[in-house]
Amino acid sequence: MADKTVLVVDDEIHIVHIVAIKLRNNGYEVISADNGAEALELALREKPDIVVTDYQMPVMTGLELVEKLRQHEETKDIPVIMLTARSFAIEQEQQEALQISGCLSKPFSPRELLGDVEDILYQKQLIGDD
Amino acid sequence: MRFRKSLYAIVALTVACSLLTVGLTEWRDSGDEEGPHARGYLERIPVVPAYCIASALGVILLGWNWLGLAEVITSIAGITTDDKTDDLCRSKRLFALPTVSKANELHVALAERMDELTTRTGEYAKQVKDLQLQIQLSQKRTQNTEAIIYSIRDAVIVVDEFDKLLMANEAAGRLFNFDFRQSQHKHLDDLIGTDKTEFADFLSRSKQSKGQATRQEIEFTDGNERKTFDCIVSCVYDHNKKLCRAVAVLHDITREKEISQLKNDFVGHVSHELKTPLASITAYSEMLADGEAADEETRKEFYSVIQNQAKRLNRLIEDILNTSRIESGLIKISKEPISLAILVEEQLQMIKSYAEEKNIKVTRQKPIVFDQVNVDRDMISQVIVNLLSNAVKYTPSGGSVRIETEVDDVESLVRLSVVDTGVGIPEDEIDHVFDKFYRVGANKKQAKGTGLGLNLVKQIVEKLHDGRVFVESQVGVGSTFGFEMPLATGQAAPTV
Repeated sequence: MADKTVLVVDDEIHIVHIVAIKLRNNGYEVISADNGAEALELALREKPDIVVTDYQMPVMTGLELVEKLRQHEETKDIPVIMLTARSFAIEQEQQEALQISGCLSKPFSPRELLGDVEDILYQKQLIGDD
Repeated sequence: MRFRKSLYAIVALTVACSLLTVGLTEWRDSGDEEGPHARGYLERIPVVPAYCIASALGVILLGWNWLGLAEVITSIAGITTDDKTDDLCRSKRLFALPTVSKANELHVALAERMDELTTRTGEYAKQVKDLQLQIQLSQKRTQNTEAIIYSIRDAVIVVDEFDKLLMANEAAGRLFNFDFRQSQHKHLDDLIGTDKTEFADFLSRSKQSKGQATRQEIEFTDGNERKTFDCIVSCVYDHNKKLCRAVAVLHDITREKEISQLKNDFVGHVSHELKTPLASITAYSEMLADGEAADEETRKEFYSVIQNQAKRLNRLIEDILNTSRIESGLIKISKEPISLAILVEEQLQMIKSYAEEKNIKVTRQKPIVFDQVNVDRDMISQVIVNLLSNAVKYTPSGGSVRIETEVDDVESLVRLSVVDTGVGIPEDEIDHVFDKFYRVGANKKQAKGTGLGLNLVKQIVEKLHDGRVFVESQVGVGSTFGFEMPLATGQAAPTV
């Protein structure tokens, strides 16, 4: 999955850093933002292949970011993985409505995250090939 | 009886007079053809005694039988006034001949009737007395019930089957804005405002339910406040199982809802705050274990992150525990005389990297000569770091944070202020910023937090050190948070 771009969004700089190292070590290009508003701007500009975002962030939450991504033609099909530290999970209906590809609860395993990213991009590629 | 005798005497006298008049007229007229001369009159003289005798006999006969006549008249009178229960008896009475024995019987019957009436009158009087007592008792009970309902803090409304008000208490009057003592029998729709129709609708639905009490949370606007009420409606049915009234009780649960919401927010925030450093620790340690750290420098960086995040986690847990300990009075503190300036300097070093990361300039005034306070070092250090980190957190990049300490010799106080150029706090929220779990609505998106930091500051300063916290703020300009506490007496502490 080399040459694929991943947008990592989290207001925790350490999380962004470690996720970026893990993905870069596995051949991905990583761009990052520390809030939803900045991430939206970056997504519209860079059109990443996948977005990994935190749920609870200042300025714009992860859910609000996904809603905005779905409203723009150029970003509406970008798969999203949500990292959540909330004690309650995102509702299944909400997840489906916003086409959220996967959710990982904090604390998460970078290995597991990498696996999810690869799976989702592989499925996306298969659909694209069809 | 006397009236009757007089009546009979008048009748007899009238009959006698009539006969006498007829007799005299006959006596005078019978001699007309013979002319009005003395001889004619003399010849007609025997007629006079004959009429008189006849009249007298008539009167005597009437007098002899006056009691019989009386009975006949009484019987006739009795027909019109009696119970009309037995036509046969009535006929017998009408045609019976009046006798003295019957009069006696009548007298006895009357006496018996009188006794019976007297007995009944006594019974009725007793019944009336009992009823009066029951009415008084009932009135007393009603008054007690009303007094209970009026004293209830919850709003209570009782309506009949047509939604007309039967009873309401003061709380209900206040809630629906009507005079509860003057509104009886008025229709509920005329009493409650159009903004409270949800209650009227719920009441109607409850009356249709024909079951147990129904319950619903209803929101009302009370002045500028939005309030939530737990509304319970119970229906009362008569012996025919027909609805005769409905009782509605409205309990204000606004505060409970707020507390519940605060607790939910707290769980969410604390969960996030606890899991975030934990997520870093987990991720970095996994990366080290997987050999993802390419060189020694990267490995050191990873270890450092793990260490810092573990400290952060510990601070947060301490915050939560300290809040709980102070509230329960279980915390143990160790006070010692120390310069506030020293504590400020120490905490300033801790916040420096965070401020630099956000491009915020942190400055402090020159240390003052004597600002010694008798405090628990760890506790007051936590107060200072909480105030400083809050100031940095809510100040946009490029802003500044300034720490000032001043001594009031007159009041023998030392005052510490943290002045920032941050987002500021709206006026209507400023009184709540030290409340537990409270987070300024407008600033929630600005940064994460648990709503515990400032509450802990207030508890440590005011509960444990006899001090006072203060805040001044202007939206878009900045805020000043601080505290003041008594100066320690004795030797001066070393200054920085």
